[in-house]
Parts: sequence; structure tokens; C-alpha cells
Amino acid sequence: MHIGLGELLIELTLMPLVAFIVGMLMVLMMRRVGARLQRRVGPPFFQPLYDIIKLHSKETQISHGLIHDIGIIMAVGGYIAAETLLPVPGMNGIAEKGGLITLLYVMMIPSLGLALGVGQCANPNGSIGISRALTAMLAYDIPFVIVMAGVAFIYGTTNLVEVINIQQEGGIAAWGAVQMPFMALAGLFALQGMLGKQPFEVYVAPAEIATGPMVEMGGKYLGGLFVMQCFQLYTASVLYVTLFLGGGENWLFLLLKAFAVLLIPISIAFLFPRFKTDDLVRLMWKWPVLLGLIGLVLINYR
Amino acid sequence: MNALDLLLLTSLGTVLFSVVFSASLTGRMLLTMLYAVQTVILFQIDAGTEMVSSFGFEIFNHALGLSFNGLSWFFALITLGSAFFAAWYGLNQQQKLLHVGLSANVFSMLVLLSAGDFLSLFIAWELVSWSGVLLMVLGKQESLVATLKYITYAIAGGMAVFAGIILIYSWTGSLAFNAVTENPLSLSQYGTLAILLIGGFSVKMALLPFHLWQAEAYALTSGPASVFLGAISARMGLFAIVITMMHVVDLKTLDSIFLIPELFTFRDFLIWVAALSIILPTYTALRQNDARLLLAWHGIGQGGYMMLGLLMYDQMGSAGGLLHVFNYASCQAILFMSVFSILHRTGTTNLNQLGGLVARMPLSFLAMLVGIIGLAGLPPMNGFVSKWLVYRSLLSDGMAIVFLASVIGTLGTILSVYKLMHNSFLGQLRVEHEHVKEAPWSMTVPMMLLAIIIFITGVMPGISLELVANAQSAIGLTPVDYHLGGVVSANSAISGDLDMIWVVLVLFSGFGIAAILFLSAGKSRRVHQLDNYAGGHFLNANNQYQYSDNFYAGLMHIIKPWYRYSFKWFEGAVVSFVNLAAVFSRSFFNQAHMLIWMLVVVTTVMAVAII
Repeated sequence: MHIGLGELLIELTLMPLVAFIVGMLMVLMMRRVGARLQRRVGPPFFQPLYDIIKLHSKETQISHGLIHDIGIIMAVGGYIAAETLLPVPGMNGIAEKGGLITLLYVMMIPSLGLALGVGQCANPNGSIGISRALTAMLAYDIPFVIVMAGVAFIYGTTNLVEVINIQQEGGIAAWGAVQMPFMALAGLFALQGMLGKQPFEVYVAPAEIATGPMVEMGGKYLGGLFVMQCFQLYTASVLYVTLFLGGGENWLFLLLKAFAVLLIPISIAFLFPRFKTDDLVRLMWKWPVLLGLIGLVLINYR
Repeated sequence: MNALDLLLLTSLGTVLFSVVFSASLTGRMLLTMLYAVQTVILFQIDAGTEMVSSFGFEIFNHALGLSFNGLSWFFALITLGSAFFAAWYGLNQQQKLLHVGLSANVFSMLVLLSAGDFLSLFIAWELVSWSGVLLMVLGKQESLVATLKYITYAIAGGMAVFAGIILIYSWTGSLAFNAVTENPLSLSQYGTLAILLIGGFSVKMALLPFHLWQAEAYALTSGPASVFLGAISARMGLFAIVITMMHVVDLKTLDSIFLIPELFTFRDFLIWVAALSIILPTYTALRQNDARLLLAWHGIGQGGYMMLGLLMYDQMGSAGGLLHVFNYASCQAILFMSVFSILHRTGTTNLNQLGGLVARMPLSFLAMLVGIIGLAGLPPMNGFVSKWLVYRSLLSDGMAIVFLASVIGTLGTILSVYKLMHNSFLGQLRVEHEHVKEAPWSMTVPMMLLAIIIFITGVMPGISLELVANAQSAIGLTPVDYHLGGVVSANSAISGDLDMIWVVLVLFSGFGIAAILFLSAGKSRRVHQLDNYAGGHFLNANNQYQYSDNFYAGLMHIIKPWYRYSFKWFEGAVVSFVNLAAVFSRSFFNQAHMLIWMLVVVTTVMAVAII
């Protein structure tokens, strides 16, 4: 599919913008679900937007140096770029010029940016938090990579546009979740870790603010990370839909599926106590990896 | 006299020049220029065709010849580039041995790269091995110990290679490169040659389990020497392995030698060696507290990717493996440069005694940032492209577990290089480093140039892929389908393209938008590093407010028991065995009636031979 440069530029602008808006809605949903589970009302509709505006317009903004600033810019910018690699209905952006492997690695840039920024803050608590966050990344990325290998193998491509086409042409029977249920389950585990939400959020948990990456983050720095979180929720859930649930036939279906996918981890989330970092590693390297490997064997002997 | 002759002569001339003139600064500047001159001469050689040198002589009726093809060209460019940057970086180093060693290494490597038959290959191989020693002994006492260890390994490897070459001669009666291809051998003979040659060459490459010597030998010496050794030296082993696969046992033959019948071939074995060479050294690097050793261990790990790519032997895999030689050399050189400029200014590379240097050495920081992004293989630096090619190849071949292993290596690299960066440049600046200055221009300028190279070849991998394509044609592979921004996968089992120009363009637009968002918000106020959250305590300059020791405590807690000392144990066992053999042979020779025993042995051997 060849499109003009102007059209491509519009896509490249729209894709991150839509991702941001949907991401804010996802944050809202997450908060509302959490509130309902705890028998609270939850925040109003525009609360995520209010939060972002509030944080960015604070009077006191504390910078610990240039790298602190650059780190936040990398964290947000990396995700903005990642959205253009993730095809959505009607818009492919540059998905065909990068593919799944590139997306995986572009998604690591925000983590690196955050890590750099926190490092420059010169607070040992922040550094401990980052060492935990990177360890967690190592933990959940291993099952995720197994899943990726399985997907590339079963569809015969690392091109996400083709992955979606194959699934949509074959109907529900061709969906990743039907073709490789073990992989889908392992992917769900990895997704939960990737979101950095309960019960795997020891490095950013509210109770751990003073001993985590957020310790020196305030104002627009925290605001930047809030924006990053919106992108993160959107990217992770849409990627899951793309790999396993046939992508989006149209925007309505895409959003329905993405919100449904996100609903699973966040409704389970509140049932479990928080995992310690090394327990998280043990858990991630045991069950999802096992499921993923079983999935791989099944794919091989299909 | 053709361009190749000129190149070899200039290189030899550089060695002589360095012996005489490297004591003065002007001499060292000219020496650096001489490497540039050699590079210019290299560009006069057409990489697409084979060029035969007019030098050559005969030994025992064997004509020794030197020739250059695309593969030699590719490695020669990296060698000369590394030497050029290392020499520039070392302009202020007055150790004469360093400059002589560097030029001698370059010369011997060029001879190795142009070797035209097995005998000249072996002679050049030994030259390379021994000239390496010159660069390794430049450090303190510890570097001598490491060098001795290197010599032991190198001799063992060299002997294995020698035995292999003798076998080739006795089986085929020729030492020419086409000896084996023209006289096919039996499978067991191929197997023996593969073990001897690939095993011997992989000592230099530091593939498992022959990797224990490399980190100390490369890291604990003088800075420019480390830059050069780390960047290219070990890759001569890779070159020799490629030569072996081209002329002695190709991958198809390796794939028909079964170690476990119907299940596990020699090639599978090598693939797993490569995969383990990625994982284990990378996680050893994660545990290092000395920045130099950390990098050197990564060097061993990255070698695994190159080997893995070559073992795939398809368009993309071999392109990735070869491209990674180039990309890795540039990243490792810049990282060593950055670390040694820290050593130059602070006197230590102990990661527990550094921190916060970004405020004092911003250019060295920038160099390290570019280097770690490249080494970890993240976009937009060049390391990403070569790893992407290797990954693609592994996925097309359905090697999911090996793919997983290589990604685990990359993740470990990210963790480890972040630790390197955090503990040296980020965090709290120590009191004793309050007045540290940026490294001198002679160090920062080559760093910045390398950073530009790493970035440009990351955005436009077509530049370096052209060289790789020439090397691929030279070893008889279909060259990769490349364009300026990346590759297209016309005929591979799994589709998926890469265009780095777009990826980087979008990435930087993303950064730009994020920056606008960031800057449009309220203006921030810069605070001192001691103006920090400390749980109610007041911080002052005497507080060590830095987290650096045992950086990934939670992870280490889990993975430490898995592989602790297993290879040290192996090495120890070999050493004990050799000791035992030495004790036996010494006591044998110390006997009063030694001659009688020798007579008995000789008679027995003769009797067996006659029967």
C-alpha cells in the first residue's frame, strides 16, 4: 500500500495523538475500576487531563540537571515514536518500515530515558528504584520475547500490518489467541508486568514514592511520566490486540478489544499483594516462560 | 607494484617509523596520519574483486602468496580505523611500546587478512598472536599476569591450528586454500579439522569455554591499547573461522556431522556455543565493578552475536554477523575511550568510587551515552541494525530458543551498561572529583568523531552494508538486499523490512514534540545535588549519598548460584591435568635409567608400527 507523503505525515501526527487520548481514557478506566473495587466513586471524566495540566503548570519545578530533563523528554518522545510503529485501523504509519523487533526496541528507549533522568537526580533511593525497574523489565521481557518469536513463526512475518491482515482474513479461527492459546496466556502475564501495575509495581507503587524512581520527580517531570503512562497503557494493550485478537477491524472494535484486554490485568491487580522484585523475577521466569515454551513446542509440532 | 603491495609496505614502514619517532609528539601525530594514509591506500583497492600481491616466496616448493578480497577489505578497514582512532586517542601517551605495538599489530593483521594459503595464514596468525602481547603488557603488575594467561591460551590455540594445517597437508598434499575443496575428505576427517581449526581460532575469538583470558588481558593495559584490542583484535579469530568455513569445512558439511545421531549436529553445537557466549559473559559483565573489565566482558559476549550471525549463513544472518564486527568495533572503541578518559582524570575506574562526572566531563558522557546505546543495540545507533539482522535471520530459521538467548543477552547488556553509566557519570559527584576537568582535546575529538560514525551508520546502514555485501560476495554468499536506510527481505522465509531513516526521523520528531511539551510547561529551577530528598536528614559533602555497590541486588540474588565459577572450575581441572602430566614427565626424565626406558618405549613403538 503506497500513500503520499502528506498523507503519511498526517498519519504520523494522528497516531500518537489518538494514542494519547485513548491512553488518558485508559488511565481513567483503571482508576474507576480500582475505585469501584474499593467501593469508592472514582475520579471525574476529565481527571487525567486535569492532572497532566496541573503537573505541567506547577510553579515549583525542580531540575537536577540537563540529563534529568533529557531523560523525561526521551521517556515521552520514545513512546510518541513507538505509536507510529503500531498499526491501527486505517493508519499504518511507518509500521512496515520497522516491524515487531523495531517496536520492541523502540519501547525500551523510554525506560532508558527514565533511567538516565533518575540517575541524574543523584538520589540513591531513585537509583534503587531504577535497578528494580530494570530488573522487572528483564523479568517480563523474557516471556514477551518468547511470545514474539511464536507470533513471528506462526504468521511467517515480523511485519505487524501483515500480522493483522492474516488474522482478519481468516476470521476468529485465525486469531493468535485461538491459534496459540498458551502464547496468549503467557503474553497476558507479560502484559501485566509491562504495564507496571499492581501487583508488579513495587518500583513505582504509591507507598514506595520515597524509595523509588519517582523520589525526585515533581511538577512537569511527574507530568511527563504521567503522559508516558498513558502511552504505555495504550501501546501494551493495542499491541496485545494486534498479536492475539486480530487487531482492529475498525476503531470501535479496536477500542473495545483494547479496553477489554486492559480490564483483565487491572481487575486481577487489586486481588494480590505486591510482589518483591526478586519474587517477580522468579514468577515471570517460571509460569509465563513455561507457558510460552509449551506454546513454542505446540507451534513447532502443529 | 599494486595498491595491496603499497598498503603492506606502508604498514611495514609505519612500524619502522614508530620504532624511531614515537617518542616525540610530532612523531606520534605523523604516526596517526600514517594510519589515515593506509586507509586511503586501502580505498584504492577494489573491494569487489580479488587483488593478488606481487610479494611472495617459496618454502619447500610451496608458493606463499598474499591476496585481498572483499572480506579482507572489510576487516582491514575496521583494523585501520581502530588503529587510527586509538593512535589519535593516545597522542599524549609517551610509552614507546604502545605505539610500536599498535603499528606491529596493524601490520601483522593486514598480513593475516591477506593470507593466500594455509601456511601464510598460520605464520600470520602467530604474528598476530605475539604482537598482541606487546599491547597487553602495558599496564601494571596485573596486566602481566593476564598476558601470561593469554600466552598460554594462544599457544594452545596456535598448536591446535598447526595440527589442523599439518593434517590438511598430510591428507591432501597441498597447503593451498583450495586443497580441501579439490580433494574431498571423509566426514570424520572433516570433523577433526573442524575441531582443531575452529577450536584453535575460537581461542582468539574467546568463544566459550576459551574465554577466561580475554577480559583481563584486554582491559588492564594502557588506554589506547585497550581501545584497539577491544575493538578489533579478537575479531581476527572470526576472520580465520570464516576462512575455515570457506575453504575447509563449510556449514553444510558441519551440518552433516552428527554429534547426537539424527538430532544434534556440529553446526547446532557451534550455534549453542555462540548463544552461550552471548549470555554467560554478558551476565559476568553485569557483576563487574571495574568499568574496564565490564566492557571487556561485553566484548566477549558481543562476539557471540557475530558468530551466531555467520553460522546462520543466509543473506541476513551473515550480513548481521559481519556488520556487527564493524558496529561493535566502533561502539567498544568509544566506550573504552570514555572509560579511559575517566581513568585519565580521576585515576580510577572502580565503579564504586565514581559518580556524578557528567557535570565535569560532558563530552565523555556523551561519548559513553552513544556507545552504550549502540552496544545495547537500541535505535538509533548502529548496533541496532546488525542485531536486527541477526534476529531476523534467527526468526526466519525458526530458532526461537536461540533468538530468546540472544535477546536475553541484549537485555543483560542494557542492565549492565546502565550500571556503567549510572555509577560513573550519574548520581552524586564525589568531593575529590569536584575539580576534575574534561579529558584533553586529543581524547575528546576522536570520541566525538566516532560518535558521529556510530550515529550515521545507524541512521544510514546502507553505507556499511555496502562493505558487508562485498565481503559476502567474497565468501560466496548472496549479498544482502540493502538500500541506504536498511534492508528489504525479498527472499527469506519470514517477511519484514527495516528502514532506519524513517525510524530515526520519527524517533527524533517524537523527542522534539516531547521537548516542546516539556519546555512549554513552567520553567524549572536547577538545584544542587545535595538539595535532595534524604528522609529528613541534611546532606553535606561528607555523606556518601550514592547507590552503586551490588547494583542489581535482587537479580543477583537469583542468578548468582546458576553459573558461579563453573568455567573457572573447568580451567582449574585442565591446569591440574597439565600439572600432573608435567610431574610425570619430569620424574620420568629424572630417573637414573631413563635411557633404558626410552629404549623400551621406542622399541615398543617400532614393534607396533611393524606389526
